[in-house]
Amino acid sequence: MSATALANLAALPVVAPIAAALILLLFPRPNLARRVFAVVVLTALLGLSLWMVAHVQAGGPLILRVGGWLTPYGIVLVGDTLAAIMLCLSSFTALACVLYGFAEKPTADEHPMRLPLMLLLLSGIDLSFVTGDLFNLFVAFEVMLLSSYALLTLEATARESRGALPYLTLNLVGSALFLATCGFTYSLLGTLNFAEMIVRMDPLVGDVRLTVLAVLMLLVFGLKAGVFPLYYWLPGSYPILPAPTAAFYAGMLTKVGVYVLLRLFGTVLPPELTGLHTLIAWTAGLTMVIGVLGAVAQGRVQKILSYHIVSQIGFMVLAIGLFTPFAFTAAIFYIIHHIIVKAALFLVGGVIVRANGTDDLDRTGGLWRAAPWLGIVFVIQAMSLAGLPPLSGFWGKLMIIQEGLGQREWVLVGMSLLASILTLVSMLKIWLGAFWRGAPAEPLNYDGRAKRMTAVGLGMVAVSLVIGLGAEFFAKTAKHAAGETLDRAGYVRTVKAADARIHEGKHP
Amino acid sequence: MTNQLEAAILVFVLFTAGVYLSLSRRFLRILFGFLLISNAANLVLIAISGDPTRRPSATVGADGLPHSAVDPLPQALILTAIVIGFAVAAYLTVLLYRLYTDRGAATMNSLYADKAPGGAVARQTEGDP
Repeated sequence: MSATALANLAALPVVAPIAAALILLLFPRPNLARRVFAVVVLTALLGLSLWMVAHVQAGGPLILRVGGWLTPYGIVLVGDTLAAIMLCLSSFTALACVLYGFAEKPTADEHPMRLPLMLLLLSGIDLSFVTGDLFNLFVAFEVMLLSSYALLTLEATARESRGALPYLTLNLVGSALFLATCGFTYSLLGTLNFAEMIVRMDPLVGDVRLTVLAVLMLLVFGLKAGVFPLYYWLPGSYPILPAPTAAFYAGMLTKVGVYVLLRLFGTVLPPELTGLHTLIAWTAGLTMVIGVLGAVAQGRVQKILSYHIVSQIGFMVLAIGLFTPFAFTAAIFYIIHHIIVKAALFLVGGVIVRANGTDDLDRTGGLWRAAPWLGIVFVIQAMSLAGLPPLSGFWGKLMIIQEGLGQREWVLVGMSLLASILTLVSMLKIWLGAFWRGAPAEPLNYDGRAKRMTAVGLGMVAVSLVIGLGAEFFAKTAKHAAGETLDRAGYVRTVKAADARIHEGKHP
Repeated sequence: MTNQLEAAILVFVLFTAGVYLSLSRRFLRILFGFLLISNAANLVLIAISGDPTRRPSATVGADGLPHSAVDPLPQALILTAIVIGFAVAAYLTVLLYRLYTDRGAATMNSLYADKAPGGAVARQTEGDP
C-alpha cells in the first residue's frame, strides 16, 4: 500500500466505532451476537492501534487530509506516536470494560443502549486523539461529552441522576469557553489547523494576546482533565455510574484533557510561555495534594478512587509543567500506567459493591478470605498507584521526581512525595476496610459472575505488570512520542509533506 | 476591530446574564442561563467573521474572491456549534424534566433535600427503567 492509502487507517479508529454503534442500533434487542460483534470490533481496533504504534515509530506519522483539502483549509488527521499510544489505551480499556460488563449481567438484562453509547464515546475520544484541527477537536469533545451525558444517566436511579447535573453544567460552561477559544484563535491567527497555527504563532511570541489564548486553553482543558480548582465535578459524578462505565470514564475521560494539554502546550503553543508552565506546575502540585486529601477523608471505595483520579492527574500535569523532553516522557509513561491501573481499581470497586451490596468501608470486610483473587488484583494495582517498586507507578513517579529534582523544584517534589504517601494511606484504608478486617458480609454475593469480573481485573493486572517489569521498552516508546510531540517544526514538516504528495498527483 | 465593539458588549451582557441565571436555584432559570451562555459563545464566532466590507476573507488568497466576501469558515463553525448546542440543550431539558418528574424537584434545594446514605446501594437494584 502506498503511504497515502495507508494514511486512511488514521480515520479508522473514529469511523469504525461509529459504524459499529449504528449497526448495534439496528438490533436493539440484547443478544449474544451483539456482544460478540462489539468484542470483535474492539479487538480489531486494539490490534490496529498496536500496529500503528509500531508503524508510526518506524515510518513517521500517518497523515490524512480529510476530503483531500490542502493543509490550512481542510481538516487533517494526524496519527503520530502519542496519538497511537492513546488509541491503544482507549481501545484496550474499552475492551476490558465491555468484557467486564458482559460478565456482570446476563445478556437479557443488558441495557440495549449501553454498547452503542460506549462505542460512540470511544469514537469521540479517538477523534480527539488523531485530530489536527482545533475546531474538529471541539466537535470530538462534543461527541464524547454527549455520549457520556447519556451514559451517565442511562442506568442511574432517580436519586443518582442528580449527580449528573454538576457534570453536565460544568461541561456546558467548558464547551462554551472552548467555542469562544476557537473564535479567538481564528481571529488572531486566521486558522484553526494545528500545523498552520504553529507557523503563524511564532511571530507572535511575547504578544499578550497569545498568552491570553494559552490561558483560555489551560482553563478549558484543565476543567476537562479535573485540575485544581476545577475538579469538583468529578468525585460527585463518577460514583453514580455502573462499574464498567465508571472504569472507562475513570481511565479515559480526564486523560483526554491531559492529552490535549500535552498536545497544545507541547506541539502547538510556542515553548517560550515559561510563566504559564510554572503556573501549570504549581496548580498540578495543589491538584495532587488536595485530591489525595479528599481521598483520605472519604469512606466509600468509589469516592476514594474518584478523588485519586484528581490527585493522579496532578502528577501528569506537573510533568507537563516541568516542560522538558524527559518530563514529557514521564507524563506519557504515567498516562499509560495510570489508565490501566485506575480502570482496574474501579472494576475491583464494582465487584466490592456487588459482593456486599455497598462500598461503604464501615459495612464491608473479610473479602480477602472470601475472594483472594480479587484481593490480589486490588493489592497489586493499589501498590502500583501508590508507586511501590517494581510496579508501573513507581517508574512514572520516579521519572517525574527525578526531573523535579533536576530543576530544583524542592517544594513540588515534596508535594508529590506527600501525595504518594497519602495515596498509600488511603489505599490501606480500602484494604483494611474491605479485605482484611472483619468478616464477610452475610449474605456475600460472590458468585461465578463476580469471579469472571475478577478475571477481567486479573487481565489488566497482567498488562500493568508487563508495563512495570518491561518499563524500559515502554519508556523508550514514550520517549519517542515525547520527542515527536515537542518537535514543532517536525510536526509542521510532516503535515505539509502530505500536501506535497497531492501536488505530485499521487492522490486520486 | 473597532466595528466589533457592539458585538463585544452583547457577548459580555449575554455571558453575564447566562452565568447569573445558571447560578440560581430554579431549574428553569438554569436552563435559560445555559441557552444564553451557548448563544454568547456563538456570537463570538459571528464577531470574528467581521464586517464584510472591511475584513478580507482569511481563507481566500489574492487570486480568490473579491474582498467584500465574508469569510465562510466562521459561518460553518457557527452552524456546527448551533447544532451541537441544540442537542446539549435538549439533553439538559430532558434531565431537568426527569429530575422534576422522578423527584418532584424544581429547584436545587429540593433536589438535595434528603441526606440519606446508600446511593451505591441503590445502584444495585438492576434494571432501573
